[in-house]
Amino acid sequence: MFAIFALITLFGALSVAFQKNLVVAGLCMVLTFFGVAGLYLLLSNPVAAALQIIVYSGAIVVLVLFVIMLLSAHEEEPAGRTMPIQRWGSAVVALALAAGAVRVVLTSGFMQAMKPLKIQGPMNLNLVGVELFRGHLVAFEVAGLLLLATMIGAVALVKKDL
Amino acid sequence: MTSLTPILQGNLQGYILVALLLFVIGLFVVLSRRTVLIQFMGVELMLNAANVALLAFARARGNDVQATVFYLFIIAVAACEAAVGLALVVGLFRLRQTTDSDRADALKL
Repeated sequence: MFAIFALITLFGALSVAFQKNLVVAGLCMVLTFFGVAGLYLLLSNPVAAALQIIVYSGAIVVLVLFVIMLLSAHEEEPAGRTMPIQRWGSAVVALALAAGAVRVVLTSGFMQAMKPLKIQGPMNLNLVGVELFRGHLVAFEVAGLLLLATMIGAVALVKKDL
Repeated sequence: MTSLTPILQGNLQGYILVALLLFVIGLFVVLSRRTVLIQFMGVELMLNAANVALLAFARARGNDVQATVFYLFIIAVAACEAAVGLALVVGLFRLRQTTDSDRADALKL
């Protein structure tokens, strides 16, 4: 199961990288987010999986697709000047980083030594809610304030005359 | 070197590997594409990679509740970032009639 969800995730991300059509790229991003939600389920964390599907595949992707259709920017604009060095340079940087990451993970003694601790059962919302309101009440309120400030800021940014 | 079978079955190393590869792909998207909206999608991919690593380590530590609470806050900030980022894209389009980051060079000397 893990290999399937990992492949779904990475395949979706790669098709975002190489897709020409922006709407299709957005839908590939939905695929990636569902793969990540599956990984969270396998990590016995259904709370995080539900949040991932609701917030990312629900809200954020809808927002992105909405803006793509609002600006009718389905196609990538033709380049003003071609810069193949940028494309090749980024591919080289990404490949080098990926090779380094794979090597570090495969040879790290720390992660091999780390045996997963036993858990009682899957994460449940009750535990999260109690911890959130007992230990992080101020942070929770600040997050609410941040969301309000963002809402006002986004409206102020796109409104023509306030 | 370790054998690949436990990684394919999804131990901690497997999840960290997926997170790192997802991050690298997101970085590649941001670096190589010119459309602002696709670059924004790359940033979202990188943020997701960080979340996968966080929750994988939390699982290895016995599914700590703190990590899920942190994940909740990260999601809230990510939603804010998405709203402001897309508002900026709309603002750029209004100013320049473009979504190409190469053409948004008003601050260039």
